Amino acid sequence: MRKTTQVVGVFCLMAASVTGMAASAMPAATERYLHVKVEDAKEGESVNVNIPLSIAEKLIPTVNKGKLHDGHVSIGHADMDGIDVKGLLEAIRSAPDNEFVTVKQKDQDVRVAKSNGNLIVHVRSTEGEKENVDITVPLKIVDALFSNTKDGDLDLVAAIHALSDAGDALLITVQDASQHVRIWVDSRSNAE
Amino acid sequence: MILLGKIALGITGTMLAGLGVVCSEGMIEVNVVERQPEVHHVYVLAPAMLVPIAAHFIPRRDLTQAAEQLRPYMPTIRAAMSQLRECDDFVLVDVKDRDQHVEVQKLGGSLVVDVKDQDETVHVSTPIRAISNTLEQLAAANSETTN
Repeated sequence: MRKTTQVVGVFCLMAASVTGMAASAMPAATERYLHVKVEDAKEGESVNVNIPLSIAEKLIPTVNKGKLHDGHVSIGHADMDGIDVKGLLEAIRSAPDNEFVTVKQKDQDVRVAKSNGNLIVHVRSTEGEKENVDITVPLKIVDALFSNTKDGDLDLVAAIHALSDAGDALLITVQDASQHVRIWVDSRSNAE
Repeated sequence: MILLGKIALGITGTMLAGLGVVCSEGMIEVNVVERQPEVHHVYVLAPAMLVPIAAHFIPRRDLTQAAEQLRPYMPTIRAAMSQLRECDDFVLVDVKDRDQHVEVQKLGGSLVVDVKDQDETVHVSTPIRAISNTLEQLAAANSETTN
């Protein structure tokens, strides 16, 4: 009986030390950054802003000004009137990858599509100052943003949280004759 | 002779302990190199703890307006400072044009601002804890006088 107790004790000790070693060997949660890069080839300027998403997540709920309050943006009931946003999102999510909207105008082409779990918007301006806008938003982020629409609010904190859980993603690019703007998320602490 | 040695040891120990306390919040480093029209070099290395202490001696009435303007932003500032202390080092802002390069980064426990252009180079490093303590003092200034 005493020997059995000793064996169980040694086994428990070994299990505890192995668990401890495994826990210490586990990598800490990787910080993710929202990068904004603006390059102006004509002026020879570039601006990079890198914001850790953990900071944004903690900071936004503290800002209460205008339509921003407690990490939510009020868009008002009027904007949602008669639209079941959750139903709409569910329909988009369950639909196969496809191009939903195509608008061709004399000076502009607009495409809205779903591809690989992302909502994609392309805008091509063909006249005047040629400008291309590409927006790629993972549907998880859109879901998080509209997760609390009953009060006519967009949940920014939930969207940022979803963004930090999502993989590396190029969210927005805007290209015109001289300027190039990129907004993306990855785990690198600088934009290089 | 032994007594003198003990006194010297006591004084030295006290000075070292005091120095340790004063430097415990890190150092503020300012390095300015001007190249044109003349070469000037200014280098200041000061204990960060002195800044909130110095802020304590500013007449309260002179801080009233600053405190009122600062107070609404304190929850945001507190959250930012707390998160900045915890997160890894990163470059917050990097601006380059043809003749100037400005970089603001979090490095260790400090916020570091570097400005480089043809005429001068400026480097300022301030511990985040010192920034936080100083802003807390400034924001509290008016409430102390009114209470």
